[in-house]
Amino acid sequence: MLHFFRISGNSLYPLYKDGQRVVCRKVFQNTKIKVNDTIVFEKENYGIMIKQVISVDQNNYFVEGTDPMSIDSRNFGSLKLDEIKYKVLFKF
Amino acid sequence: MFNLKEVKAHCDVPCGIYDPSAAQIAALSVIRMVDLMEAAQKDDDLAYHNSMARYVAVKETEAIKCKEEIRIIWGDFIKPPHLEGYPEIHTIVHNIMMLGGAVKQHVSREKAMELLAEVNKFAEIFWKIKGVETKVAQSPYAPNEDVVYPVL
Repeated sequence: MLHFFRISGNSLYPLYKDGQRVVCRKVFQNTKIKVNDTIVFEKENYGIMIKQVISVDQNNYFVEGTDPMSIDSRNFGSLKLDEIKYKVLFKF
Repeated sequence: MFNLKEVKAHCDVPCGIYDPSAAQIAALSVIRMVDLMEAAQKDDDLAYHNSMARYVAVKETEAIKCKEEIRIIWGDFIKPPHLEGYPEIHTIVHNIMMLGGAVKQHVSREKAMELLAEVNKFAEIFWKIKGVETKVAQSPYAPNEDVVYPVL
């Protein structure tokens, strides 16, 4: 299933800019998530977030923004696959 | 069926609190200290030297605070996309850093006013980035100089 999201913030600049829209595909247990994929997930106290996958170690997905002050796995640790909701297909 | 939701790509503490008003108040304080120093009746007694030392100390502290507040907003809040819209911001910040040093070095109302003017320029850009309208009004306390305020 496809979902549209509007990006708020600049932690992924210049890959994605504030206000840009992305089309995403729902992630299932058999979905392959690899390094450099951009994913959407939900974190308690942070809300629905978008970040880039930096490394994959078994079921641990470490995500970061491109901005050094981005809120990401450096703050809340790696994600599990079942926390990842969508994978970005393209922006527009 | 497509859903359109907002997805966060935030930096720093989400919804971080940034406000140039502290820098503007600091710049006004520098002007005020210069005014008090220039108005002081020159004397050789302890009271005069005590007052002058305190004016200088406050002028130093407020000039440093002004630079610090601007530096934090510039370094932590201003991002490359903002620079695309306001490329002059680097020059304004550099001017503030230099004038912040100059007002410590000198007792010059002219330089203190230049500092306030640059800080006001920075504040105007900051509020534009935040999508907040601004107005210029005199500070309701001495030195009663023009300050850029957000219209909230």
